[in-house]
Amino acid sequence: MPTIRFLLADGAELAVEAESGRTLMETALENSVPGIIAECNGSAACATCHVVLPEDIMSALGPISEHENDMLDFAEAPREPGSRLSCQIRVSDALDNVSVRIPAA
Amino acid sequence: MSEAVKVVDDVAFEDLLANPYPVFKRVRDLGPVVKVEAANIMMVTRFDDIMAIERDPETFSSVNPQSLLNTVIGPNLMRKDGDDHARERAAIDPSLRPGVVKRCWADPMRVICDDVIAQIEHKGEAELFEDLAAPIAARALADILGFDGVDWRTMALWSQSLIDGSGNYSHNPEIARKAKKAASGVESAVDRMLPHHRDIPNPSMLSSMLQADPPQTVEQIYANIKVAIGGGLNETRDSILTLILGLLQNPDQLARIRAEPLLWGQAFEEAVRWISPIGMYPRRLTRDVEISGMLVRKGEQVGLCVGAANHDDRRFSDPEKFDVFREKKSHLAFGAGSHFCAGTWVSRALVSQIVVPTVFERLRNLRLKDPDRVRIRGWVFRGPTHMPVIWDV
Repeated sequence: MPTIRFLLADGAELAVEAESGRTLMETALENSVPGIIAECNGSAACATCHVVLPEDIMSALGPISEHENDMLDFAEAPREPGSRLSCQIRVSDALDNVSVRIPAA
Repeated sequence: MSEAVKVVDDVAFEDLLANPYPVFKRVRDLGPVVKVEAANIMMVTRFDDIMAIERDPETFSSVNPQSLLNTVIGPNLMRKDGDDHARERAAIDPSLRPGVVKRCWADPMRVICDDVIAQIEHKGEAELFEDLAAPIAARALADILGFDGVDWRTMALWSQSLIDGSGNYSHNPEIARKAKKAASGVESAVDRMLPHHRDIPNPSMLSSMLQADPPQTVEQIYANIKVAIGGGLNETRDSILTLILGLLQNPDQLARIRAEPLLWGQAFEEAVRWISPIGMYPRRLTRDVEISGMLVRKGEQVGLCVGAANHDDRRFSDPEKFDVFREKKSHLAFGAGSHFCAGTWVSRALVSQIVVPTVFERLRNLRLKDPDRVRIRGWVFRGPTHMPVIWDV
């Protein structure tokens, strides 16, 4: 099981075991990761599950849909090059030990 | 052994319409699920319970073929789940995404807002429901749907008639007749508009539905355009009025926001938390399940009272108070889960970035004409219904 390292807005790190195939957002909710609200529960409609990933793993995660791309510009914290909606990312070995930062709103 | 669901039988329907919040508070404190006889529904009123329910659509389904909503407007995305819902939602989202709102709709919405204000500006007084909020909400919606040339009063009549018909539990024949007339009016308008949108693809909702993969059928278009009319006009209108009302009653907050315009967004979120335009929507249980220890049986319907959840004092301190500067927390005014309001981003832009800031800028020293004459009404749908104001000319 991959380990995800959530880097919280206050600087603390929360490492959790994640189940492959679940989304990063689901993993965050199941582990009560602060800052992931996910109002729309994975529909990419609310932009409240914004995370920032290291840029070098972006390509391993596949392309961003037009819809997610639009939403990311309107998340509360400003968009960064590694920004994604965590509900649109499936946990896989590519994310093992990767730092997933929750940007400060 | 699970506790029996408590019943509230001493509340009149009129009490709910006049002010549901005292009832909501009583029900919230009584238990996680409470049957309210006057509304003939089991209410779920606590924030955390509703959030948990909306994360479990397989148990708490939106599917309800027998619902009045389906009868009045046809099978539509609000009463579907899973892939059926997702496909229909994806067919309208390209018109409603925040970036599309900014690029395609903000300018026409500004034109509408300026035009409506120009018609009242010189008068020094107005009734904001009829003279401002309703025409702006209706005209903006007509643009976004692709209903060119449909006048705002027709849009408003359709919206009200469809909403009334969907809540016509007493089977009043006059309400049913009006709803049917509105439905056929919308269908004729769709028929008239479709060739244009087929020929010239554009960002409107009608065009998005035709461009979707697979393109939506005419039946899907009829039904979901009716949902958009019933769900996109009154709520926007009500939130315009609620935000103006909250700020007129709290001039100190208004002054801070005007000094720091980035706060308009926050002010809007507080307004829809304070008086949520949609107060309740139903879900049907697909299995026996406990809601915070209270057993509810398969097949039963529960009313998720988001208006009540937005006043849950377990989450919000002094919930009855309009306070733009309260501790920041998410609310449920747009619902939650996959049915999260599709028009959220349109309403945020229209109400908090365009209409309300412009109203306070153009109508100098705006104030309530008579605070006692402001009327607020409704519980499933709630908002100011009468708001006379004056300003300096």
